[in-house]
Amino acid sequence: MSLITGKSFISNTFYKKVKWLSFYEKFIFAAIIVILLTAIFGGRLAPYDPYYVNLEDSLLPPSSKHWFGTDVNGRDLFSRVLVGASSSLLSTLAVIAFAAIVGTILGTGAALGPRWLDEIIMRISDVAFAFPALILSLGFAAALGPSLSSAVIALALTWWPGYARLVRTYVIEIKYREYVDAARMLGVSRNRLIFRHILPNALINLYVQITIDVSAVLLVISGLSFIGIGAQAPSAEWGALVADGRNYILAGSWTVVIPGAVICITAVLFNLAGDALRVINDPTLLRKGEK
Amino acid sequence: MAKFVLRRLAMVPVVLWLVATLVFFMIQLIPGDPARVAAGRNATLEQVQAMQQKLGLNKPLVEQYVSFLNQTIHGDLGTSIFTFRPVLTDLGQVLPSSFELVFAAMLINIAVAIPLGVITAIFRGTRTDFALRIITLLGATVPVFWLGLVLQYLLGAQMRIFPISGQKPSGAQIERITGMTTIDALASGNLPLFFMTLHYIALPAFVLSTSFIAVSARTLRSGMINILDSDFITLARAKGISNFRLILRHALRNAILPTFTILGMQVGWMLGSTVLVESIFGRQGIGSYATTAVLQKDIFAVIAVVLVMGVVVTLVNLLVDIGQKLIDPRLRISDA
Repeated sequence: MSLITGKSFISNTFYKKVKWLSFYEKFIFAAIIVILLTAIFGGRLAPYDPYYVNLEDSLLPPSSKHWFGTDVNGRDLFSRVLVGASSSLLSTLAVIAFAAIVGTILGTGAALGPRWLDEIIMRISDVAFAFPALILSLGFAAALGPSLSSAVIALALTWWPGYARLVRTYVIEIKYREYVDAARMLGVSRNRLIFRHILPNALINLYVQITIDVSAVLLVISGLSFIGIGAQAPSAEWGALVADGRNYILAGSWTVVIPGAVICITAVLFNLAGDALRVINDPTLLRKGEK
Repeated sequence: MAKFVLRRLAMVPVVLWLVATLVFFMIQLIPGDPARVAAGRNATLEQVQAMQQKLGLNKPLVEQYVSFLNQTIHGDLGTSIFTFRPVLTDLGQVLPSSFELVFAAMLINIAVAIPLGVITAIFRGTRTDFALRIITLLGATVPVFWLGLVLQYLLGAQMRIFPISGQKPSGAQIERITGMTTIDALASGNLPLFFMTLHYIALPAFVLSTSFIAVSARTLRSGMINILDSDFITLARAKGISNFRLILRHALRNAILPTFTILGMQVGWMLGSTVLVESIFGRQGIGSYATTAVLQKDIFAVIAVVLVMGVVVTLVNLLVDIGQKLIDPRLRISDA
């Protein structure tokens, strides 16, 4: 199996696997792709100007003209949700990218480096793990000044220890495999050993965590925006949309219900995709009834 | 055991120092003049200068750090720019109310997650399992603040099953003893009032617990599945033990320990999530204090909340660690 040789697993294994996906899995992954495309092109698909205030159209219920209705300022909610997709999801992905890269570097360092480095990184990750991520990022974002980029920086600073811990576990597990010993005996250099033999195999499991984390980070980012420390008005970030609608829930419940439902559906899909990837990665889970 | 407790206690100051250092780092991140931020928007020049003096901003960084640690140890977390009282006094006033909410949410969490975990493990792979897992998945992915608003709208404003917001009926006088409304109502001997306060806390506690139920039920489910597959369960079954006894006495007792660890960690996380729940339901607490501080741009109060939460979480985790050793003798041997 290409898994063991650690050689171009994407070209071999991945395409073979797509063929074997069930209908359910194909549906989930297709939905994820649609969401990601919306995040990239959402602004161009919007039927109305998401920032155009038109008080005559204030709080119109969902209709064929305005699919998701309008908010108190008469702005088309469907357009705002589409534009909000890019602020919400791209900032989520930025957090995860940072956390995964820094976590991989420090996790590998902890697993293969000197003992004191391991101790320091693990103690930091202990504290970060016990600390509610929401509060830690709240503190950082408050210090940096309320804005979406502060929220992103704050969460990135909060989220990497989880990845460091995970990568460390994977690397330590791989480090003792026989093929690593064999490669070392064949005289493979230390760098090549790490970058060609250990890391590719250790990181192959990481994308499951990354997929599931999208929903976790999305929930925290929208939460920060909701309490007013993330995205600021007139941003259409999804959490900010819920906060915008909050005071008008009695007159127009859709202004709260729809953006929140969009967050929830996105989070569910990324969670299901992560679960599906986990099973694809390790089919023995099927037997254990994990699916 | 004593050795473990001592060693664990010795770790506490180290962790608290890490938390304090983290908070000092946060203050360094504040752009511009932190003294102006700490003194508030309407501060006079003298007030800003006094604040500069207090924060020691004109001194070298190391000295600032030392004096910050010194002030923190002495409980000086600064003065709020919107209540004009020391932040620590403010937080002391509202913390019991948050503990009350977290405790209620934890009760709901345990009462729902344990049966859920056991049932999904027993019926794994069946439709019951699938349906219950979809529900827990929704619980884990629903944005807490949104669920709070929607339930408040549906069950509070539309159906009038639950009060919309607050902690007690308006006009009701409850003498403050512990700061926890339900306990104070009970202590006053007024039973109907006690049930009313329970009615007020039910919805926020449920909303707070939803995302945690999913995690604890899932942990218990996989623990139960592992145990149910083990040899001693097969043996017990072969000896003709009743199903009920098998699951409760043999399987659950062994499977529940990892769940306890998770439940313990959840106390800290729940306290963090009060930020999203308390202000929606108009409850007093550290969470709504933090959100008000954010809106008032009272940055130092927000940072003080981080510090206090850090201390509380550290202490809770200490108790959980020790409690776990008390429950599970196996852990005591490995780590004596």
